[in-house]
Amino acid sequence: MRILLQFAIIVGICLVGEFLHKIVGIPVPGNILGMVLLFILLCLKVVKIDHIKDVSDFLLKYIAFFFLPPSISIMAAGDEVLSQWPLLLAMCVALTIVTMVSTGWAVQLSVQISKTIKLHRKGIDVKRRAKVGSRESR
Amino acid sequence: MNLDNAFLQTPLFGIFLSLIAFEIGVSISRKWKFSLLNPILIANVLIIGFLTCTGISLETYNIGGDVITLFMYPVTVVLAVPLYRQVHKLCKYFVPIMIGICVGSLTAMLSVILCSKLLHLSHTMMLSLVPKSITIPMGSVVSAQIGGIPSVTIIAIVVTGITGAVTAPLVCKIFRIKYPVAQGVAIGTTSHALGTTRAMEIGEIQGAMSSLSIGVAGVLTAVVAPYILQWF
Repeated sequence: MRILLQFAIIVGICLVGEFLHKIVGIPVPGNILGMVLLFILLCLKVVKIDHIKDVSDFLLKYIAFFFLPPSISIMAAGDEVLSQWPLLLAMCVALTIVTMVSTGWAVQLSVQISKTIKLHRKGIDVKRRAKVGSRESR
Repeated sequence: MNLDNAFLQTPLFGIFLSLIAFEIGVSISRKWKFSLLNPILIANVLIIGFLTCTGISLETYNIGGDVITLFMYPVTVVLAVPLYRQVHKLCKYFVPIMIGICVGSLTAMLSVILCSKLLHLSHTMMLSLVPKSITIPMGSVVSAQIGGIPSVTIIAIVVTGITGAVTAPLVCKIFRIKYPVAQGVAIGTTSHALGTTRAMEIGEIQGAMSSLSIGVAGVLTAVVAPYILQWF
């Protein structure tokens, strides 16, 4: 599909997101509202993947590049960052591992619990069926 | 030699420098395949080195840099596409995934707040570090919104992402995170897009789970962060 039209759809959604944030006053950044909006539109099949495929694949592939310039601003970082960077670095690394473990455990535990509940229900079903079956056979 | 004159006062210079530095970063990281050699980090070192050596100011670079940063809006919006592509998997494991992402996002934010208090970091620094587990386009706007410094946030996000990508297999092994779904959600929630590239190498389910977690965790953090910070 036409590239410029794909861009127009995506930028249009950004614009609506900004409108919702700045004019309607929803306290979530406009680009994030735009993402939620696009997701809803995709689910409702108002926008199809084909309508935006080429442009979105391009943007997602080079996602890191678009954030190179803001990261360069670290040059202007104050003494606060420069003086305690080893501490900040260690903190980021340690907290990353803490977060990863807690997330993984939370998912794993809830999968296990839901499996046990399902098994438990099935177990009850089997018992009931067995009972009914035994009555019928009498 | 002062190059900071009218010749460089167009967006062209910043855009050109970014493109070249990023391409060098990509080719170096492809050649050595060592996770610490992230294209963004390499490009960062190259650009900062170049600007410092030539004495060109950050403002001059940013004339072009701001043009690239403008893409932040469309890039965040199209993160809905991977989320939509995985929607059937999201529905299948909806409850565990949501519980995991909620726990993960809250841990990420609360652990930063707790650590900052213990280590007596300044309030601005704490605010800048709170959105460090979400993807850059979301993290930088959330940071600005809650009163942090976006450039500090971005560096923290890159560090978090690289740490996640490097340590994920080891962490999953040591802490016995065995389910592919759990591994994927853990990697995506913690270390966003940078971790996701690693998750895709580990397995298909891990990659899919990780890429859908980026969007959900980002939205959740953006919505919840201002309310949590009210208490501190």
